[in-house]
Amino acid sequence: MSTGSFTAPAGTIGPVVHPDTGLEQDLARLIVASLSLETTAEEIVPEAPLFGEGLGLDSIDALELSLAIAKAYGVQLRSDDERNHRIFASLRSLAGHIAQHRAR
Amino acid sequence: MAGASVTPPAWVQAPERGNTFWLRFMVGVGHRLGWRAGHALLFPITAYFLAFSPRQRAAARQYLGRVLGRPAELGDLWQLYFTFAATILDRVWLAAGRSAGFEVTLHGLEALRARVDRGQGCLLFGAHLGSFEALRAVGDAGCPVEVAVLMHEANAARVKAVFDALGGEGRAAAVIALGAPDAMLRVREVLERGGLVGLLADRAPAGQRLHRVAFLGHPAPLPTGPHVLAAVLGAPVMLAFGIRTGPRRYAVHFAPFAERIGDGSRAGREAAVLASVEQYARALEAMCRAHPYNWFNFYPFWQEEAA
Repeated sequence: MSTGSFTAPAGTIGPVVHPDTGLEQDLARLIVASLSLETTAEEIVPEAPLFGEGLGLDSIDALELSLAIAKAYGVQLRSDDERNHRIFASLRSLAGHIAQHRAR
Repeated sequence: MAGASVTPPAWVQAPERGNTFWLRFMVGVGHRLGWRAGHALLFPITAYFLAFSPRQRAAARQYLGRVLGRPAELGDLWQLYFTFAATILDRVWLAAGRSAGFEVTLHGLEALRARVDRGQGCLLFGAHLGSFEALRAVGDAGCPVEVAVLMHEANAARVKAVFDALGGEGRAAAVIALGAPDAMLRVREVLERGGLVGLLADRAPAGQRLHRVAFLGHPAPLPTGPHVLAAVLGAPVMLAFGIRTGPRRYAVHFAPFAERIGDGSRAGREAAVLASVEQYARALEAMCRAHPYNWFNFYPFWQEEAA
């Protein structure tokens, strides 16, 4: 299924404070495991697009990923969130969203 | 993912620009002149398309030969083209939910209703066979649930434009466009609310997630995406086909397909998905044989390397 373009232009991701590299690594491992990817977690570039031309994920992958994220971090991704294009843009933006909303 | 990838099908490579014009034309004619005049115009329109679409005609001939088990004659091609044109005209009324004057018979509604009454969401797998819009009549005929349709974004924009032109009460909102990363989240949320999500499971956009299975005796690439989606969601699936059986006559068929695809584990999923695609191919094949002139895939469906 085609995925369109999800790459947020540079500078639109919002005030990135300090990327939580520990969380990013965790999340990268979760992505690889939950989607049975052939790449390794270390190979996922934090700023690279996850969907389309980057890692090549599609909307079914996004669904699976959101289920895995809900389970692991207690963060629900909903379709009515208009920031979804930014949230799903890259590993970094996704980790940033989780960091903001995770249950502590 | 599941299955091998092949080159994008011809219908993706060559967007059917003419169809937008004809769709609008039919909508205009239907609106201004009514069904009878629209129906009378179907004869010259069918003749025109039959005469001036050699590539589609070749594809149609191949399909007809395989479904009928004999070489297709001109009369077969005429019936196929005419039925297609007629469903486009009828869409003007069916998509807007105005089914007065239409005779829509429902088959297998009990199974669907049982599910709806339990508040259980369900995926409906259809095909480019007959009129998916005829399913809308079901919503108007006593299944008061949310119905959404998942479709390829280019088609979604086109359909939305037509729906907007029709002014059909907010029906455009029920179209979920494939392509946004959250498209499937939307599907899940409709199902969570106990709604129905229809999708056409016979064409795969962008050449991804395909699996070749025998269809009418020859291996054809079918999309695995719909089956993967059902497996990930753990959602029940029913088949749904709106078959045109005559002028303003439709028979809508619902049939249980799967309670769930796979067992929820990722390990067994690929095999379950491939088996499900196979099962879908058998069901679609049976539907095609019963209603051969309702097939609206006017491109080389089997995507044979050297045909």
